[in-house]
Amino acid sequence: MKKMKRSVGVVAVLAVALMSGAATAETLKIGMMGPLTGPYAADGNDIANGVRVAIEVINEAGGIEGFDTIELITQDTACDPKQAVAAANNLINDEVVGVVGAYCSSSTIPASETLAEEDILMLTPASTNEMVTDRGLPYMFRVCGRDDDQAPAAVRFMKEALGAKTVFIVDDKTTYSQGLADGVAASSKEMGLEVLAHEHVNQGDKDFSAILTKAKAAAPDVLYMSLQNHSSGSLMAIQANRMGLDAAILSQDAMFHPNFINVAKEAAEGVYVTFGYTDESTEAYKQFADKFSAQYGDIGAYAIYAYDAATVLLNGIKQAGSTDPAKIKEAIMAMDFQGASKQIKFNEKGDSGSSYIAFKIENGEYRPYWHPETGYYQ
Amino acid sequence: MEVFIQQCINALTLGGLYALIALGYTMVYGVIQLINFAHGEFFAAGGYIGVLLLGVMTAMGLMESAPWMCLGVSLLLTMLYCAFLAMGVERIAYKPLRKQTRLAALISALGMSIFLSNGMMLARGPLDQPYPLEYSSGGFEFGLITINNLQIVIWVLTAVLLVALNLLVFRSRIGMAMRAVAQDKVMSALVAINTNRIIALTFAIGAGLAAAAGIMVGLYYGSVRYDMGFVPGIKAFAAAVLGGIGNITGAMIGGLIIGAVEVFGAAYISGEYKDVFAFIILIAVLYFKPTGIMGENIDDTRV
Amino acid sequence: MAHLEIREVTVRFGGLTALSNLGFQLADGEILGLIGPNGAGKTTIFNVLTGVYRVTSGDVLFNGESILGKRPHQILKRGISRTFQNIRLFSKMTALENAMVARHCRSRAGVVGAILRSPAQKREEHELQERAYEALKFMGVAAYADTVAANLPYGLQRRLEIARALASEPRVLLLDEPAAGMNPAETAALMEDIGRISSRGIDVLLVEHDMKVIMGVCHRIVCVDHGEKIAEGNPAQIQSDPKVIEAYLGKPVEQQA
Ligand SMILES: Nc1ncnc2c1ncn2[C@@H]1O[C@H](COP(=O)(O)OP(=O)(O)OP(=O)(O)O)[C@@H](O)[C@H]1O
Ligand SMILES: [Mg+2]
Repeated sequence: MKKMKRSVGVVAVLAVALMSGAATAETLKIGMMGPLTGPYAADGNDIANGVRVAIEVINEAGGIEGFDTIELITQDTACDPKQAVAAANNLINDEVVGVVGAYCSSSTIPASETLAEEDILMLTPASTNEMVTDRGLPYMFRVCGRDDDQAPAAVRFMKEALGAKTVFIVDDKTTYSQGLADGVAASSKEMGLEVLAHEHVNQGDKDFSAILTKAKAAAPDVLYMSLQNHSSGSLMAIQANRMGLDAAILSQDAMFHPNFINVAKEAAEGVYVTFGYTDESTEAYKQFADKFSAQYGDIGAYAIYAYDAATVLLNGIKQAGSTDPAKIKEAIMAMDFQGASKQIKFNEKGDSGSSYIAFKIENGEYRPYWHPETGYYQ
Repeated sequence: MEVFIQQCINALTLGGLYALIALGYTMVYGVIQLINFAHGEFFAAGGYIGVLLLGVMTAMGLMESAPWMCLGVSLLLTMLYCAFLAMGVERIAYKPLRKQTRLAALISALGMSIFLSNGMMLARGPLDQPYPLEYSSGGFEFGLITINNLQIVIWVLTAVLLVALNLLVFRSRIGMAMRAVAQDKVMSALVAINTNRIIALTFAIGAGLAAAAGIMVGLYYGSVRYDMGFVPGIKAFAAAVLGGIGNITGAMIGGLIIGAVEVFGAAYISGEYKDVFAFIILIAVLYFKPTGIMGENIDDTRV
Repeated sequence: MAHLEIREVTVRFGGLTALSNLGFQLADGEILGLIGPNGAGKTTIFNVLTGVYRVTSGDVLFNGESILGKRPHQILKRGISRTFQNIRLFSKMTALENAMVARHCRSRAGVVGAILRSPAQKREEHELQERAYEALKFMGVAAYADTVAANLPYGLQRRLEIARALASEPRVLLLDEPAAGMNPAETAALMEDIGRISSRGIDVLLVEHDMKVIMGVCHRIVCVDHGEKIAEGNPAQIQSDPKVIEAYLGKPVEQQA
């Protein structure tokens, strides 16, 4: 018995030695989590692909000193909070240094708490809910904008640019979509835009005829469409168009996706969308866009932010010359550079600022239409 | 009032689609007492095949010269394809388990559902597949009320299919054989009905109807997606149970009721809880009449 | 020539031997009675003849050809049709539909033809309906053609079962206790019907506990007990056979009814 105990001990010591050996080996592991299956699979895969392009760019620029290869470990959250926590645990077991993700705010929030227990950095490219960075987690960063910036921007746009007096709000009850819709409702009250109704639908609904009939009868100036995903958005846009709804349609960042236009076609024409402004003339954007579209086709909304998030993480590790989270954070906080999406500089909360403007869909493209500071484009 | 009429129009469209899907559940349950959880996938596959066929026809320029013919041909081919798909699924996933417990087949059905929907995702990616069709497909307007041409197509087609199915089941020799198998498989075999073939045919017909619903959903809602079978599948299943599972007329009525409850629930109570209303009705009916609206007392030849 | 010949058939269910080396023949034009106490194996013989049960050993010849291993519907198509001890109608279908279903084996058009309803198919369906109706008429239930089977009185359900069996145009008809549950008047009518069936050139194998029926209509009788044939002969021979009497607990056969 004693002998056995001792041999178990030897094996354990060996295993620990081997494992620590693996950790100091020349592979840098980073994680990505997002919905790779289910209704949001398209966005999740955009994010994964954005990260892949970032790794490629870093490798081409000579990689990261001390590491031969950078390994990306992807985990599916299916936009489900429970699965997101499981995904976070898997990534912890895989000993990743940092994670890009998740997509749904309702996944990012619980997953980040799990990752925080192990001091693993998390950079979200897509979760805009305020709570993501408002909980004071030291290693939580956000590359996209915040809903509490987007909502006032949307309401200002409706009032100032569209001259709207009434709005009919619809959301599909996710942390993100309802959070934003609530924000719009609150800002509307503050800014004197009348909310005729605030209706809710369910994720995965296909038929919105009942709600749209109500909207038509209410005859609002604007239909504010806050849906989790462009898939539901295109369905709603088509049905609104069919029903002959006169109201302008304003939606949010989830609708900033090429497939929204591909599916909704004529029904997408004239739809307004608030989204972070990306200057497509910068070198950083071009470098990303060429690489991305060559391999993965259409550039989904969050691919750019995922690319920037991964770039921040990898450069942070590179500049810190270490995988120590505190040192990486220090390097990240010192960054101020032109990313593919925007100028990136983090504040003490971990936010990198919002740059919401209104786009209008014209001839099958998102055209910058109105900027809160400078007014109409052109 | 106008709003109410518009909501009735909405309800009829949605309910008709649910009815078409519900029939497959109820027919299959009727003959082999299996809840075919993969049935929603035949609906989705219908939408997918439809988008492929119409895409090819559009590319060939046929859609412009003869749109109605293209729609008709696509509909027929799609229904046929899904009918064969369903027979294949039955052969592979259910037939070998027919002598096992019902639970085994049920689990096999769930597996098939996952397999098929992921197969569609792998084949065409996770994005919505747009239907190659003009959305401003015309229609009628009376004040606030709009009836889209496609809605009329859905009504007419649904009605035609329902009547055809009724004739087939209640007036034809094949239908008689189907009803015989549903009542007593051993006896049916004794009177020389090839029960295997009738079971396969039942799957085929149910899937054909679901496929028709799939292509109509694609046309009407503008796009299809690999996971589109899930939610309507569950609603249609609820419709089948509501109507009295195993009962064809019941499935039609159940579909219309679920459609109406959903639309009116969303319109006059709350859009947020419309699914809840549908299921509350279901639970209430099952509580007071466990066999469903049209269900007879549970048949002893069946248990 | 014998239409139907059972040769040394043994059927076992696990440890239980339901039939053991049983053999007899059904001659052309014959009404053969099959009697024996409860559990003797009579219904088992029917199940063997119609392909429901497999034999452990032995053979069954129909028109000189073995029908072992044939599926029930293949046997029906060859011309052996039956009724059931416990009525087994399609209870939710009408009387006419019940008879029509039984003619399924006689139709040629396939599934596609049936759905597309070609002219040939329509003609066939029409004929199918005619023949089914004739069978109902023959058994005197034509007036109830459109009545759902479950709603028919018991005696009529029995007759409908026979009509359904006849609708498939059998060469051999197997009747399993057709008089069970009938009143004397119904039984008398049934005996007449069995005679009429026989005179249509259909051989009849009749299982019945009512000895008045057996003695009244059968040309020959086979008595089985515990799966073995214990006697065979004309009604008079059987009535006086001591083994038969013993099998029926020593009571005189006449009192069995
Ligand atoms: N499928 C079966 N499995 C096991 N045992 C069976 C089966 N079928 C019949 N038996 C047995 O075989 C024996 C003969 O049964 P069978 O039904 O043939 O009797 P029977 O002569 O028709 O009796 P009855 O006059 O009561 O109808 C019985 O002991 C019965 O329990
Ligand atoms: Mg018996």
